[in-house]
Amino acid sequence: MSTEDVGDDLLETVDDEEEEEAMTAPEVLHKLEEAWLNEKFSPDLLPVKSNLVECMLDQIVAMENNISTLKKGDFRISVHRMEIDRIRYVISSYLRHRLAKIESLTTHVLQEEEKRRDSENVLMSPAELEFAKGYCNSVMTHLTNTALDHMPLKAATPNAKEIAVLPNLDSYVFLKVNENTENVLVEEETVDAREEIMDFEKGDQHIMRYKPIASLVESGGVSLI
Amino acid sequence: MDPSEVEFLAERELVKVIPNFTHDKIYLISGDVGPFSAGLPLPVPLWLAVNLKQRQKCRFVAPDWMDIDVLKEKKQEEADSRFFTPMPSPHYMEITQLLLQWGTDDIPKADEIRTLVKDIWDLRIAKLRSSIDVFVKSGESHAKLNYLTLMEINTVRLFLTKALNHMHQLKSVTSRDTTNSNSQAF
Repeated sequence: MSTEDVGDDLLETVDDEEEEEAMTAPEVLHKLEEAWLNEKFSPDLLPVKSNLVECMLDQIVAMENNISTLKKGDFRISVHRMEIDRIRYVISSYLRHRLAKIESLTTHVLQEEEKRRDSENVLMSPAELEFAKGYCNSVMTHLTNTALDHMPLKAATPNAKEIAVLPNLDSYVFLKVNENTENVLVEEETVDAREEIMDFEKGDQHIMRYKPIASLVESGGVSLI
Repeated sequence: MDPSEVEFLAERELVKVIPNFTHDKIYLISGDVGPFSAGLPLPVPLWLAVNLKQRQKCRFVAPDWMDIDVLKEKKQEEADSRFFTPMPSPHYMEITQLLLQWGTDDIPKADEIRTLVKDIWDLRIAKLRSSIDVFVKSGESHAKLNYLTLMEINTVRLFLTKALNHMHQLKSVTSRDTTNSNSQAF
């Protein structure tokens, strides 16, 4: 590698970091709201956005400290409080939707997490992962104690793959296009129909099945609405 | 999604108010607001506008499109077009609802505006229903919904997505696709 290349690489990483740092609080909030809606409408668990959540929680803590320095009866107190309540609502709703999915798709999300372990894009935060494992264990213990112990040995060995509840990736979702994307495969070729390909234009809204656009939701090319 | 959540999202939209007090800029997490000076109109998020109004600290200024002539024209356009026409605001229904609920006195000809917006809404919802009928009967797997607002989408969301999910399931069973057998229906 020539020195020039090294220089370029360095520059790029610096750029990336700066980009992350340069994201303002309103932008982070906007991203978080988008993540909230995506999580709300997608049938599958999406990779966790810990950095957004933590950033907003930090902002809230900082704001609460600021509020406590204000004089009692200051006009700003109720305004800031109200905003904090709004942001808290988004954060807790986001996390609740995730927990609900982790509970209903426990085995599936644990398997997915396993696949992604080495990549940077983890599916669950450490706390969520702990919860998922604990929940999985509790359910298994419960099933073992109440039913499996009283069954013939052959039936009493459940297979994780067989009992996993899978998300219905074919469910229909509404989406809005954020970035022009060409050649989206809407419908795979089947016996009685040809494959269908579409171009997404920024600002378009569609209703279609989740599966073909799952990767676009993750990359931010489209958002669910 | 609950309609109140759609309203929650609509409350982020900016509307103009005329404050009756003077105050420096307020540094909100979602962006700076102000400075407020008594009598001078300024844009604030809708949630803040409603809050200030409730505390009798401001008057609403009707958005440009909240005007009898503009709305009449819009209504005509919507009636004439086979497709959905772009609305002046992506949250026109919620904004009208909130502004008129809390500040009937601030919006000129509030009653007529309420009726016109409701008329436009009715036209669009009727159009939405008939296009859903066409869409479902056609058996297509996707549809473009440009210019539909979130509140409108939300009124048909559960019904439409559930129906389409069922139809898809039936279709995939008939084409002997058994991969769905153990998937969970939401």
